[in-house]
Amino acid sequence: MANEQRTLEILKGLRDAVVSMDENTVKELSELALEEGVDAYDAVTEGLAKAMDRVGELYSNKEYFVPEILLASDALYAGLAILQPHIRIRTGAEKKSLLLGVVEGDVHDIGKNLVKIMFEAAGWDVHDLGVDVKLPIFGEEQARQKADVVGISALMTTSMLAIPRAIELVKAHDPDVAILVGGAPLNRELATRYGADGYAKCAGEVVKEAQAMLERVKNRKKML
Amino acid sequence: MLEKRIFKPDRMTWKERWHGILSSEKIDRIPMHHFVLGFCAKNVGYPIVTMYKDPEKSFQAQLQTLEQYGFDGGPNYGYASFGGWEFGGEIKFPVGDFEQAPSHTKFPVQTKEDAERLLLPNIFKAGSVPNAMAFSKLQEKYGTPISLVIGGNFTIAGNICPVETLCRWTLREPELAHKLLRLATDFSLLLVRYWVDTFGAERVIPNIWEPLSSNDVISPTQFKKFALPYLNETGEKMLAMGIKHIFYHICGEQNLNLPYWAQLRMGNPGLVSVGNQVDLSTAINYFGDNNIIIGNIEPSLIQIGTPQQVYEECKKSIEKAKYSPRGFMLMSGCELPPMTPSYNVYIMRKAIDDFGWYE
Repeated sequence: MANEQRTLEILKGLRDAVVSMDENTVKELSELALEEGVDAYDAVTEGLAKAMDRVGELYSNKEYFVPEILLASDALYAGLAILQPHIRIRTGAEKKSLLLGVVEGDVHDIGKNLVKIMFEAAGWDVHDLGVDVKLPIFGEEQARQKADVVGISALMTTSMLAIPRAIELVKAHDPDVAILVGGAPLNRELATRYGADGYAKCAGEVVKEAQAMLERVKNRKKML
Repeated sequence: MLEKRIFKPDRMTWKERWHGILSSEKIDRIPMHHFVLGFCAKNVGYPIVTMYKDPEKSFQAQLQTLEQYGFDGGPNYGYASFGGWEFGGEIKFPVGDFEQAPSHTKFPVQTKEDAERLLLPNIFKAGSVPNAMAFSKLQEKYGTPISLVIGGNFTIAGNICPVETLCRWTLREPELAHKLLRLATDFSLLLVRYWVDTFGAERVIPNIWEPLSSNDVISPTQFKKFALPYLNETGEKMLAMGIKHIFYHICGEQNLNLPYWAQLRMGNPGLVSVGNQVDLSTAINYFGDNNIIIGNIEPSLIQIGTPQQVYEECKKSIEKAKYSPRGFMLMSGCELPPMTPSYNVYIMRKAIDDFGWYE
């Protein structure tokens, strides 16, 4: 069993390796963590996931760009593949879930994929509907999944016009769900006008925005 | 805004104004440059797909729409996903209610092995090239500028393989990224040569649309390494063929790349179109001495903003860029959204009438 100092060293090593996109070192340290008895849950949350918080910050600050996020996420997933099977189920904090998709008429998936990475890194369950999602599917899937958040995106000025309809269809099935939107032609004002509960300008800030949005929605419900 | 119902009479035809600004001669007013495709289809009652599949109807729809709204310049044929179909992939033409332009369904390169095997296509038959050539023959017939829309080198490469793959390769397998960029560059140059041989270098204006090298995707360091050398080579070789003007659509968030873009020779003058992410004063500082500045009203604002908001944005842009050393043309920052209310397009022209005259 690793002592506290050794555990901290391994966790820091994992963080540094993800941030520096070093997939091999992440694999080695993940194996080492298991060998030395570091709790797999801690290795994921305090090592890998924390690193992706930093990657998100670097992206928001324009120090990292899409290639760096992708390679950091490759390192993250390599570590998760080793560590996740060893996580013992913990009671307490409930895992949040996200239903995610790009609207009908739009096949641009890079932004959506970055968002997926950031949520998965933060420990959320993500149900990815993909791209060019027919609008009724958003509502039907939400009725099945009951996700905490529905994320909807569009990159084109034409496909963005589908967003208010998609929101309407989701709310018809689940009026209380929090809906987060994003994509190049959108902004916060437009998101509000379309009936969304939140807006994220970039993937680097999306998880924080979702958490803040859930708080806002919860408080709004309390006031009603 | 409603007091005046008739524009001041133009003192030049659009062709005189177009040639005037390209020749650095005095013109009567700011031109309203067009980036309108799907909007033209809607305007004359065609499905949007017509703009990409039927050169004759596409040309006529544009000609009529440009006339109706008083745009300057001639019809254009092209799409941002250029490169994928042309190198052997598959695209889907826009048919749905929310579709705007052709999009990828199958990339010709998915794996390292695909990239290693990839060869230049037959340029005469590749993807949209026959349609583009048919379109340019109509441009020649009607005496409008002969454009050839190609992607920027990085954008073509990112249309040959998924952009995520290209991004990974820039860091992990740079030789594969360079291989695709080399092919994209050679392909572009062969196409320009084909157009030059057909129409003459002086009449051809290559249009380089480069969204994928924006800082929404790659860093300025990656731009310098993977985009700039190929853009430079393409531009220099086009100029050496006798091309007079190159139109660069520097699309999206490109602010960190501007010092590199400014190193390119774009013709005399070149044409630089920027998106709403780049301030026009910044664009003038970087490019204005040698190039006409074009832009940059936010497309989504034109689509969903009020006429007053569009008018104010156009006024601000005109006031900033009217006296750019080599001239300025008002345009949307990217393609005018097909569902734009027609009154908002009229308002752009009205703003030119109110603020864009040179006295």
